Amino acid sequence: MAGIFGFYAFGEGRENWDSKRFIYYGLSSLQGRGQEATSFAVYNYEFNSLIWISGNGFVEDLFEKIKQEDVKGFLGIGQVSTDREDYVIRVDEPVSLALVGDGKPALHESRQTAFQIFAEKLSEELDEQKDPIDAIKKIIEQTKGGYSFIALTKDQKMICGRDIHGIKPLEVGAIGFDIGAVASESSALDVIGAEHSGYIKPGEVVVFDPLSICRKCFFKNRTAYCSFEYVYLARPDSYLNSIPVSKVREMIGKRLVQENPVKADVVIGVPDTAIPFAMAYSEHSGIPIKLGFTRTGRHIRSAIKPSQFERIVGVQLKLNPIRASIDGKDVVLIDDSIVRGNTLRNTVYNLKRKGAKKVHVRVGSPPLIAQCPFGTEVPREDELIGKALSNDEIAEIIGADTFAYLSIDGLVDSIGLPKNSLCLGCFTGNYPEGSL
Amino acid sequence: MKIMGVGNAAREHAIAEALERSEHHPKIFWLAEIRNPGIFGICKRTGGDFTLSKTTEPEKVANYAERWRVDFVIIGPEEPNFHGVPDELEKRGIPCVGASKDLAMIEMSKADMRRLQWEYGIKGKLLFKTFKSSQDAYIVLERYSDTLTWLQNVALKPARQAGGKGVKVVEDQQLYLHDEKQRFKSRHADWLEDYMKSYSDIDDKILVEEKVWGPEYTLQCFTDGKSVKGMPLVQDNKHAHEFDIGTETGGMGSISGPDFNLPFITKEEYDESLEIVKSLVQAIQDKTGKSYHGIVAGQMMLTEIEGPTIIEMYSRFGDPEALNVLSTLKTDFIDICLAILDGELSKLNIEFDKKATVVKAIAPKGYPDYRELAKNHPVFIDEKEIEREGCKLYWGSADLSEDGKILSAGSRLVEILAIADDMQEASRMVDNCIPYVKLLDGWGLFYRSDIGSYELLSKRIDVANRVRRLYHYRREKGILGKRIDWLPKVGKTDPVALLKNELSKSKGDG
Ligand SMILES: Nc1ncnc2c1ncn2[C@@H]1O[C@H](COP(=O)(O)OP(=O)(O)OP(=O)(O)O)[C@@H](O)[C@H]1O
Ligand SMILES: [Mg+2]
Repeated sequence: MAGIFGFYAFGEGRENWDSKRFIYYGLSSLQGRGQEATSFAVYNYEFNSLIWISGNGFVEDLFEKIKQEDVKGFLGIGQVSTDREDYVIRVDEPVSLALVGDGKPALHESRQTAFQIFAEKLSEELDEQKDPIDAIKKIIEQTKGGYSFIALTKDQKMICGRDIHGIKPLEVGAIGFDIGAVASESSALDVIGAEHSGYIKPGEVVVFDPLSICRKCFFKNRTAYCSFEYVYLARPDSYLNSIPVSKVREMIGKRLVQENPVKADVVIGVPDTAIPFAMAYSEHSGIPIKLGFTRTGRHIRSAIKPSQFERIVGVQLKLNPIRASIDGKDVVLIDDSIVRGNTLRNTVYNLKRKGAKKVHVRVGSPPLIAQCPFGTEVPREDELIGKALSNDEIAEIIGADTFAYLSIDGLVDSIGLPKNSLCLGCFTGNYPEGSL
Repeated sequence: MKIMGVGNAAREHAIAEALERSEHHPKIFWLAEIRNPGIFGICKRTGGDFTLSKTTEPEKVANYAERWRVDFVIIGPEEPNFHGVPDELEKRGIPCVGASKDLAMIEMSKADMRRLQWEYGIKGKLLFKTFKSSQDAYIVLERYSDTLTWLQNVALKPARQAGGKGVKVVEDQQLYLHDEKQRFKSRHADWLEDYMKSYSDIDDKILVEEKVWGPEYTLQCFTDGKSVKGMPLVQDNKHAHEFDIGTETGGMGSISGPDFNLPFITKEEYDESLEIVKSLVQAIQDKTGKSYHGIVAGQMMLTEIEGPTIIEMYSRFGDPEALNVLSTLKTDFIDICLAILDGELSKLNIEFDKKATVVKAIAPKGYPDYRELAKNHPVFIDEKEIEREGCKLYWGSADLSEDGKILSAGSRLVEILAIADDMQEASRMVDNCIPYVKLLDGWGLFYRSDIGSYELLSKRIDVANRVRRLYHYRREKGILGKRIDWLPKVGKTDPVALLKNELSKSKGDG
């Protein structure tokens, strides 16, 4: 998985903008979508060429390393990724271009190779077709999978698009009379001070060139937005496809109360993603919410760290229970998702050691039972606890008194779109028709 | 009856068409700087004449009016007003629908318009400062936390109406991006200084204005100097590209209706806006001792500070806004012109169809900032097909040559209008016409598909609702228009008082 961002300055005087700091803050706000690699490319006016910069680690790690003066350009794209060495794609011939992508085109097992193939095809089609719109139409038509992308060509075009189902998001914003910006999430637009103006539609292509923005939607009515974005991946301050993420999470909290009510003294949420669920759970159950944990260190998203070891270390570093909130109490613990159960077992154990009498676990998403073919790192199926065990068995294993997931209908209702407009693949094993 | 018009954009095509529709069946004569095929056709059809001429030289224009013995003249664009064309016509006893030079000051000098507004205490004001050079402006633009809040978030403009060009709005809210924004502000101040060198008719060069946010709308009015009559509200879209991205243009398209007002402006706000325009007309008449006969418009924004607020004034119809109102005008346009000239406007009942209208401009790539690129491309338009789609074509920046070829002239090539029961329908109708407009040499055209769409309209409504809550709250608390700052070492500071002080001082000096 990745977070992607694009910056495009228009009009006379556009050379006066430097995209670098906008990319820096844009990507920083998307850091939750990938923390293993950061990279970007800018178009440099003086040299009439693209400049590529990449490195493993966080956004700030990379930016600390570069010499600011050397990297300047009023057009730029960037990416953060969950895989090391997963950088901006570079193609030199026939059309020189850089490409960032979220999700995965169904062109190869590896996300990076898949986008490499995608970018090479794009380069060739751009060379052959007169109109870039035709070029990209052909590629989207031929390329299954769930992906969104932003490409920057040496002839100053920024080409953005989404697969025909719109599985992965792509939002658009503007600054003044000067700048257009594109990002995986609208929060990145807020952070750079842009006005969020809308989203690129499923199967839509938007081409920025120095003189215009051209927009075409070829494949209508096949929407299948990634539902995991709303539960877990996206930031709560984002709007995706014009749906506010935080609203969905509130609905989920409410739904958890309705689906599996329980008597308890206090509600606590696992930071950060589950906090909105917990707040809404408290509001609708009447059980007071308390601060359950304090985090140590950077916000490391535990479900997307590569190895099991890191996941446990990550979570222990992350969450120290606040004893006064739970000591002697029946606790409802809300989490966002459960993969192998390690994280939750540790958390429940820690809560009980610090004095919780009972721990009722509620998870704000349905059980993960299948792989994501679109690049979200869901562990192998034989590592998914939800696929193998019942709620009671899971409760027993993680040491909880009761355990319940959100139902699939609960999730669908919370997002507020019809079931067939969503990709629920990781929860059902069924993927949007024609996406594989 | 014989009427002469001046100007050559789509707005003037719409004016010519409204004249042609009249029961007076006039012969229509026109002066223009390029041969607009639409206006040219109307002149020929009605037995009038069309001549190429400079339109900003009062003598020349008046000579033609005399030669053709027209009953009255109507001026389309602003520059003839700024150059005193109506004044010369009046001197020679030829009636003219158009603001005379002194009155047109409310449009020509954005700075003087604001001064007038502050002097007469007219609502809908913004804080501003003017500069003669970018050097002077730097001092103000480069400061951050130790300066008045409004100076961080500014609109930078040419102090003169300069053909819908050169405005930048820079919101410098994120300290972490301040360096970028500040550099951009200073560079743009340089650009403005340079750009304004071509205008010698004004002292102020650079206008720095408080940046506000909210939905924009244009209120166009007829006035005979005594009464001011508002037309249906129209919203123009200034950004060149989809998603409200990109360069400022003269306007890429406009919407109106279905019911006189816009869906995101209340009746109360309409009335208040009309009051503001009226007060400005009164103020400029009072100041100059002249009587305003023509069109006046407020280009406005609903703001959190004061509700309906003036961004700038027009001494003419807006383009494309003229198309929305003139195409739905039920009253005879010539009757209106005569009433304007005779000072009888209050007696006339002016009516419009209760329909939604959408106009979209189509421009060659290169417009607005690189107009040389947008020029001289051969044009082909299938007018029959556009008619079949139920739409109307208005020619804009297009030049009909002697041999019948039409070449693009660098600005908005054509504007297409649709009238329907609701906006989305009208928007779709216009979109269907886009393929019928082509440049024969393959050069690209662009337009905005999103104007009039459900998405964009919802966005406008959402913004309007947020702004409305804020200014209503201010109204309840009695703090409309109030701003207050705290500056280190200075303490509480009232930027309004500061501005008023400055204005009265400079008036004393002057
Ligand atoms: N004070 C302001 N705050 C926020 N936005 C502003 C402000 N002033 C201008 N703008 C924006 O810039 C646009 C152009 O400004 P303005 O109308 O003053 O310039 P113009 O170049 O004369 O335009 P026109 O094309 O209408 O002649 C406005 O429509 C508005 O969107
Ligand atoms: Mg304007």
